[in-house]
Amino acid sequence: MTDFRVPAWGYWIMGVGLAAFIVMLVMYIRRNRGFKRPLFASPYVLWLVVFTVIPCLLVAYFSFTDYQGNFTLDNFKDFWDSNYTARKAMDPEEMKMYEEMGLTLEDLGLERGTININTLVFSLWMAFLCTVICLLLGYPAAHIMANRDFKLGPTLVVLFIVPMWMNFLLRTVAMMTLLEDNGVINSLLEAVGIGRQKLLNNVAAVQVGMVYNFLPFMVFPIYNVLNKMDYKLSEAAMDLGCDKWHTFYKVTLPLSLPGVVSGITMVFMPAVTTFYISRLLGGGKVQLFGDLIEAKFLSTSLREWNVGSALSLIMMILILISLGLLRKVDPEGEGGGMV
Amino acid sequence: MEEQRLITLENISKQYDGVTVLSNINLYIRKKEFVTLLGPSGCGKTTTLRIIGGFEMADSGRVMFDGQDISALPPYKRRVNTVFQKYALFPHLNVQDNIAFGLKLKKMSKDEIARKVDYMLDLVNMTGYGKRSVDSLSGGQQQRIAIARSLVNEPEVLLLDEPLGALDLKLRKEMQLELKSMQQRLGITFLYVTHDQEEALTMSDTIVVMRGGHILQIGTPKSIYDEPQNAFVANFIGESNIFSGTMIRDELVHFCGTDFPCVDSGFGEDKPVDVVIRPEDILLVGEDVGQVTGTVKSVLFKGVHYEMMIDAGHSIWKVHSTTMQPEGSRVGLSVVPFNIHIMHPMQEENAQ
Repeated sequence: MTDFRVPAWGYWIMGVGLAAFIVMLVMYIRRNRGFKRPLFASPYVLWLVVFTVIPCLLVAYFSFTDYQGNFTLDNFKDFWDSNYTARKAMDPEEMKMYEEMGLTLEDLGLERGTININTLVFSLWMAFLCTVICLLLGYPAAHIMANRDFKLGPTLVVLFIVPMWMNFLLRTVAMMTLLEDNGVINSLLEAVGIGRQKLLNNVAAVQVGMVYNFLPFMVFPIYNVLNKMDYKLSEAAMDLGCDKWHTFYKVTLPLSLPGVVSGITMVFMPAVTTFYISRLLGGGKVQLFGDLIEAKFLSTSLREWNVGSALSLIMMILILISLGLLRKVDPEGEGGGMV
Repeated sequence: MEEQRLITLENISKQYDGVTVLSNINLYIRKKEFVTLLGPSGCGKTTTLRIIGGFEMADSGRVMFDGQDISALPPYKRRVNTVFQKYALFPHLNVQDNIAFGLKLKKMSKDEIARKVDYMLDLVNMTGYGKRSVDSLSGGQQQRIAIARSLVNEPEVLLLDEPLGALDLKLRKEMQLELKSMQQRLGITFLYVTHDQEEALTMSDTIVVMRGGHILQIGTPKSIYDEPQNAFVANFIGESNIFSGTMIRDELVHFCGTDFPCVDSGFGEDKPVDVVIRPEDILLVGEDVGQVTGTVKSVLFKGVHYEMMIDAGHSIWKVHSTTMQPEGSRVGLSVVPFNIHIMHPMQEENAQ
C-alpha cells in the first residue's frame, strides 16, 4: 500500500482548492472588518474543504482513472461485470485457443460477474426492509412521546437518546453477546423450555442490528415535527367532527409527513451504506455493499482502489438523489434536526 | 324563559394541579343570544369555553345542552363549533378545503359542498380566495376563514375564543361589527370570550364578568356599565374613580373628607363601602362651589375629551371633560347624587 501516491495533479487540485479558500477568507475579513459571527464558521468551512470536498473529488478522480492515473471507464464496467477486467486482461490469442478447445467463458470463470450488482440490490433490499420496520416501530413511538397528556414522554425521549451516546460498534458488539449461542436471549429461551436457537450469523440478525442502530434516526425527526405541531389543530379537527382516528389521518399524519420523509432518508442512507453490522452479526456470511467497498479498499491490489472508488461514487449518487427527494418534500428541513 | 335556555352550566368546578380555575360556575345561555365572557387573563373564561366545547372535562357539575346532559360527550358529538384564538387553520389544506373540512366528514355531495363553501366565502367577504393557501392570507383574512370553517357546519352555538385578539385596532373594530351583524343575520347563539371590555360592550346582549374562577356579575352591557356590583367590575368595565368611604346613613356617604348626598340606601349606618364615580360624571366647577377642591396635576388630550388628574389633598381624581383646565390651576369638583355608585367593599379573598 506504500506504493500508492497521489498523482501530481491531485496535489494541484488540493492546492487550488486551498488557495481559493484562503482568498475567500481574506476577502471576507477585509470586507467585514473585525470579527463577526459568520467568521467563526471558517474553521468549519476549512474542515469541510479538507475532509469532505477534497476526498469527494478524489473519489471521483479515482473512479475515472486506472491505477496509473489514465482516464478510463473500466471501473464502472467492473461494477456491472465483476470479471470485466480479468477478461480484458486475457490475451486474445489465448482466448481463441480456449475457444477452439471448446471451453466457454463459464468454464473459465470469466462470464459476466454479477456479485457487485447483486450485492447492491441486496443492500438496497435490506435497507428498504430496515426503513419499513423502523417506520412501523418509530412512528407510533414518536406519536406516543409527543402526546401532551403522556407524562412519561420526555423520559422516553431521553431513553432513546442515551444509547446513542455509546459508539455504535460497541452497541453492535453488545448485540452479539445478546444473540450468540450462549448469550442472554438463548439462556432465557432455554430456561422457559423453548431451547436454544440459532440467532446469530444470519440475515435476520443483521436486520435486527440495523433496525436497533437506526431506529432513533426515524423516531426523532417524526417526534420533532409532532412535538412542534399546534395541538389546537387536532382540537379544531375534533371540533369539526373528526373522531380520534379521522383526526390522525386527516390532520396529524399529513402534517407529520416532512418528519416521516426526513426519517426515511436518515435511516435509508446509513442503512444502505452500512458495513460493520453485517460483519459482526452476519458472521461473514452476509455481505452488504458497504462490505464490498471496504474489501476493495483493504485489498492489496492497487487496481481495486479505483474500483472501490467507482462503487463509492455510485453509492454517493444514490444518496444525493435521495437527498434531492428530501429537499422537495421538506424544503425547510423542518424534520431534519435531531433533538 | 326556561325553554329558551340552550346551554346551562350547573355547578361547574375545575382544578389544574390543585389550583382552582373554576369554582361553582352557574350560567345559562339563551337561544340566539350573544353572550360574552369577560375578565382578565386567568379568570377561567377560556376554560369555561373549552368545557362547553368538550376539550376539557369539568371536575364536577353538568353541562346541559337543549335539556340533555352533554358533560361526557366528545367534541365531535356536540352541536357547537369553536373559532380558536390563533385560528388553527389546517396548513396542509387550501382555503376551500379548510372550509369544506367538516362537510366532507358528513359525506355531503360535492356540489352541495361547493355551494356551501361559496356561500360562506361570500358571507365573510372572501369570494375568490378558495384556492389560496392559508399561509398566504393576512391575520384578518385567516380569521374570516376560521369563522367560515365553523359556521359552514351550521352549529347551534358558535364558541369564539378571543378571535380578534391578534388583529390591529381598526380591523378589530370592523370585525366586531361584522361578527355582530353575522350573528343577527344567521340567528346563531354566540358565546364570545374576551378580555377587552370595549369589545364586550359593543357586541354583547349579555356580559358575564369573571374573575379568579368566579362569576362576579351577569347583565346587559348597559346595566353592567351603569350599575357595577363591585369596584372590580366598575374598574374593569370602563374607567373609574374608586374611593373607600363610609355610609353615614341612607342617601349620605362620607369619603375624601366630605359628606356627599347619594341615592343609595340599605347599607346600614357607619358601614364601610366602596364608592365608584365615572370620570365623565365629575363636573368641574368654580373653586368656591365645588364639593371638593383640588389642583390640576396633569392634562392629557384624548381626542373627544381631556383627561385631567386632580389632586384633592388625600385623593387623586380622574376627570374627563371637554373643557380644559390648565395644569396647576385650582378647581372645584362636584358630582350629582345619581352618579355616585355605592358598593359593598370587595372581600379580600375575592380581591386576589
